[in-house]
Amino acid sequence: MKPAEFDYCRPSTVAEAVTVLADVESARVLAGGQSLIPAMNFRLTDVSVLVDIGGVEGLDAVACDPEGVTVGATATQTRVLDDDAIAAVIPGLRAALRHVGHLQIRNRGTVCGSLAHADPAAELPALAVACDAVLAVSGPGGDRRIRAADFFSGPFWTTLEDGELITAVRFAAPPAAAMTVVDEISRRAGDFAVAGLVAVLEAGDREMRSARLVGFGLGGAPTRLKEAEAVFVGWAADHPTDVIAEAVVADTADAFDDIHATGWYRREAVAALAVRAARRALNAREDA
Amino acid sequence: MSLDIDSHIRHSTRHIGMPAPRREDRGPLTGRGRYVADIKIAGMLEVVFVRSVEAHARIISIDTSQASALEGVTAVFTGADLADVGAFPDYIEYIGPVEQRPLAEDKVRYVGAPYAVVVAVDRYTAEDAAALVAAGTVYEPLPTVADLDQALAPAAPRLYEHWESNCSFDVSPHKPEVDRAFDEADHAFTETYVSQRQTGLPLETRGVVADVADGTLTVWSSTQSPHMVRTTVASMLGVAEPQVRVLHPAIGGGFGTKTHIYPEDVVVPWVARRLDRPVRWIEDRLENLVASVHARDQRHDVEVAYDDDGTIRAVRCASMLDMGSGEIFMPGSAPVFVTNACITGGYDFPNMAARTVGVVTNKTPSGAYRGFGIPEGAFVMERIIDRVSRLTGTDRVESRRRMLLRPGQTPYVMHGGGRLDSGSHTESFERAVEMVEPALRLAEARYADDPDVRVGVGYCNYVEPTAPSYHLTTGHWGGGDAATVRVDPDGSVRVAAGVSAFGQGVETAAAQIAADALGVEPRDVTVVLGDTERTPYGLGSWGSRATMMLAGSVLLASQRLMDKARRIAAHMLEAAESDIVLTDGVFHVDGSGRPSVSWAEVGTAAWVRNVDLPDTMEAGLEASGYYHPENLQHQLDDEGRINAAASWSNGAHAGVLSVRVSTGEIKIEDYIVVHDCGTVINPALVEGQIHGGVAQGLAGAMYEHFQYDSDTANPRFASFMEYLAPTCAEVPPLSVEHFESPAPEQPLGVKGCGEGGTVGPPAVVAGAVSDALSEWGVDLTECPVTPVAVRAALRAAAAAAAAREKGGVA
Amino acid sequence: MTTSEPTSETDVEVTVNGRRHRHRAPSRLLLSDYIRDTVGLTGTHVGCEHGYCGACTVLVDGDAVRSCLMLAAQVSGAEIRTVEDLAPAGSDSLSPMQQAFHDNYALQCGFCTAGFLMTLESVDPSRYETPEQVVELLSGNLCRCTGYHNIVAAVTEAWNLSRRRGGSDYG
Repeated sequence: MKPAEFDYCRPSTVAEAVTVLADVESARVLAGGQSLIPAMNFRLTDVSVLVDIGGVEGLDAVACDPEGVTVGATATQTRVLDDDAIAAVIPGLRAALRHVGHLQIRNRGTVCGSLAHADPAAELPALAVACDAVLAVSGPGGDRRIRAADFFSGPFWTTLEDGELITAVRFAAPPAAAMTVVDEISRRAGDFAVAGLVAVLEAGDREMRSARLVGFGLGGAPTRLKEAEAVFVGWAADHPTDVIAEAVVADTADAFDDIHATGWYRREAVAALAVRAARRALNAREDA
Repeated sequence: MSLDIDSHIRHSTRHIGMPAPRREDRGPLTGRGRYVADIKIAGMLEVVFVRSVEAHARIISIDTSQASALEGVTAVFTGADLADVGAFPDYIEYIGPVEQRPLAEDKVRYVGAPYAVVVAVDRYTAEDAAALVAAGTVYEPLPTVADLDQALAPAAPRLYEHWESNCSFDVSPHKPEVDRAFDEADHAFTETYVSQRQTGLPLETRGVVADVADGTLTVWSSTQSPHMVRTTVASMLGVAEPQVRVLHPAIGGGFGTKTHIYPEDVVVPWVARRLDRPVRWIEDRLENLVASVHARDQRHDVEVAYDDDGTIRAVRCASMLDMGSGEIFMPGSAPVFVTNACITGGYDFPNMAARTVGVVTNKTPSGAYRGFGIPEGAFVMERIIDRVSRLTGTDRVESRRRMLLRPGQTPYVMHGGGRLDSGSHTESFERAVEMVEPALRLAEARYADDPDVRVGVGYCNYVEPTAPSYHLTTGHWGGGDAATVRVDPDGSVRVAAGVSAFGQGVETAAAQIAADALGVEPRDVTVVLGDTERTPYGLGSWGSRATMMLAGSVLLASQRLMDKARRIAAHMLEAAESDIVLTDGVFHVDGSGRPSVSWAEVGTAAWVRNVDLPDTMEAGLEASGYYHPENLQHQLDDEGRINAAASWSNGAHAGVLSVRVSTGEIKIEDYIVVHDCGTVINPALVEGQIHGGVAQGLAGAMYEHFQYDSDTANPRFASFMEYLAPTCAEVPPLSVEHFESPAPEQPLGVKGCGEGGTVGPPAVVAGAVSDALSEWGVDLTECPVTPVAVRAALRAAAAAAAAREKGGVA
Repeated sequence: MTTSEPTSETDVEVTVNGRRHRHRAPSRLLLSDYIRDTVGLTGTHVGCEHGYCGACTVLVDGDAVRSCLMLAAQVSGAEIRTVEDLAPAGSDSLSPMQQAFHDNYALQCGFCTAGFLMTLESVDPSRYETPEQVVELLSGNLCRCTGYHNIVAAVTEAWNLSRRRGGSDYG
């Protein structure tokens, strides 16, 4: 299990990196490498040049203000997870990162790398969609911004074009009164989710005021659960849970079968997670 | 007990039974431990095996020219180059012969089968070349069989054209009394139970390094049985056995997978001889998952006869083993025989008719893995007891109580001839029940306010054969083992034994046994294992045998040494030999402390100052013992019965689990083990075996499942992301208690403890989850019990209930 | 050290356990192989080469990483520590954590041990209060022999967790 031969470079600027990425076929960006290198060790990925962006100055920057958090391309997951200021602005980031891999993976793995990899079972892409994140991208044609909702197009598939590099991602802070729940069912601690849910919920005194729900682990791109969001608004703890479950099941019709779970299981499980999230948000409001 | 500590030893501290610290730790703790992959020899080349990507195919041609031309590649060999090596022997006459060649030549029968080797300067280059060989291979794909049903279908493609079918063996007992019981019983039901395919998964993969120097072929192999590797390699390569040395450095776990003698064990030394260069092959994880043996993969079609009062009258069980391609030496047939031998566990249940079937399929060969068939049988028996209890409204604990062997009921001969020499079957179970009841109440209270959670309890009683016959498994070797014990001139002791060590603490235990056997301190004992040049012929470590074999062989040798040492001491002290005793390492006349001679003085007389020996005495102070356990049988008697183990440990597991109904998530709230492995040499080591065994058992109960695509017989994955070995977050803390029922006929009364931990969890988890979900009628029949499996069972139960309602049946 | 010119070999300059090393290495050489074969420190073990088992865990600038998921080329300029660096130099004694592993029978075959020790070495013990947190920390290292029970017990003892929190199930 050794990678096939490739060339390696470690540019010092984004422009240099983009030049190589644009010029060489099968050039790939190496950031944390926690998904790319295993794929290369299995010889599943064809790589001609590995462009290590670890030496690009400033790409590891993390900035936090009351409106949101900006995470540079080489900022590690541990860097973000351990930052109390970030957790205060976007609690969902810490909640999501706690589910990501293990310490050793988070120490190298990057937030932007996880978005670029677009694993359908990963937490961060779902969070990005739930938080209306915006990705800053540099490419041979210049810089552009892509909304998370427009970025993920399928399993391991994004709208990033050849030669483009994510330089940073900006997560917008949720409404002050909102609670972010990141919940999932995984087979083992740290595994990718068999079924997962990111919920940004505003609870009123008795009933839910607003909800943004994103399911993941369903096989495709992270999915907004629109029917369920509609059902959530006005739902109260003494309402029947079936309506939530039915809406989630309707929202997740494309859930896939794989070695870990069946599609029907994933749909039922996300439905259960949605009920769990609704109860949590309403209870938290009650306790407050 | 036939063998015990010499009665002339008056040691003030006994070491047997004490938690002596492990002597194996320092290397791994400091990074100085040496495993096969750490061996470096000047000029060493790297070997990589090219493996089939087809599950069943003829190899039409292999173009090695591109690989050979690659810079850094020394050689490429295919099966044709190894024509003179021949096939692994098919020793067992009643199973289908597979004529396994070390490298497949004409045909491949599973994904992962080796058919060529590349030798290169380093592993990176060798893998590049292997990819070129793979690309240059032309196959003619054949239809595949991926499971028992496909393999046994009337028109199934045959793996071995000269066989009549894909059935390797099919053995049925003649049991008219079982048929009579079925006729007389109130009720009967049929069911199918499944134990899924797993693999042992040692963290260190396999590896072989070979070098020819000074006329000796030296082979470092991560094997559990170096002497057996030597015999096999020498005979297949046509080299005299004394010219082959097989040894293993530290081994990173084996769990049975390293008991087999693999193609690589033969091919790598062959390459070293052919090229006259040191060569090394280290299995990578991708290979390990398909090229090291798999295990379990049994199906059990049972018929159960029972009465209204909950009495189980008789069971017919067809135990069907999916052997994969069967191309492994020793063959993987034995576990299913062990399943049937052990299926009734510690229950007084003679009315069992167990048919034993082995079938070949286009999958990785199955073979040895910790548990070796025992968990599969225990799962069937415990699930049957739970089912009958539920059908008749009998308490599950009471059902087990009625059947368990009571004190005084041993020795007890089981349905297949296994002779339970002793044990605490009822006592262990009662203790486990006593421990689990408060745990159950606590868990019920914990979730009393959560309507989504149900709590259940599961049980498993089992027996664990110790030091079994290897004749049944290999068709060739026996069941004894040897040790040589020497006292050197300075009085220090050297023990060399044929068993192997790969993490269990065998050296620590050996030093404790030898210290007591010779009245010295463990620090005075040097232990040598795992080297055919330095140890007497032995069969290695497997089948929970190492400690018993050590105890027997070390005691036999020590007995002989003690006799001689006492004669020497008597001569030196001018006393009668019968008066000489040994107290705290010093020989003296019983009843008087002085004069005395030490082990060092006796050793010096024996080896150096021969003038101090009695006139007629041979010099030297070294003895060997070859221990073969009493009552261990290797062949079936006229009625087809056999006691194929030297002794039998026993245990009872009980667990409390909670299940989240909406998601199927399962949590182990408490897990209890009551274990009896006779006399304990080192309680800390025994606990370690139980902890590790239970973790692996839980892995099988809840996580690990090696899956194949049913259309192509291709593995559905090849990584740790899919083969779900548990992390510490999945393994709960355990409560472990011991009973000690010494093996009456075995040295020191010891029994084995390597397998037992793995046996209980599948039955406990399935039992507890079924109990938790009993209000819906859930009764699980296979593992792993996953959240999806739980939800599927609930859906099936709901569908059945709906169908009943629709059909108007109450 | 940066370069925008892609090459099949790369200069690697690192400090390993306080000693400086300089090699021209193939760009594709994994850090695990660099440490084991090029530097010659074989205490770091390779268990899966796809970043799951944790046996190859080493410290890169103080952070625990899986050395099979890094290239040697990536660590130029970094400081690396391996299991060989844990015991006090020039004596027979063990580090407190190594000693706790020994005292608690927390290793059997020992193949995973270096990875566990390096993971533990990388964190600040004062951030851990309960065995459950230790379990979470260690869930990135597979052990196939011990069932983890005694490993958690060893850490609990070495870090005095039971005293801090009054008892635990691991003992």
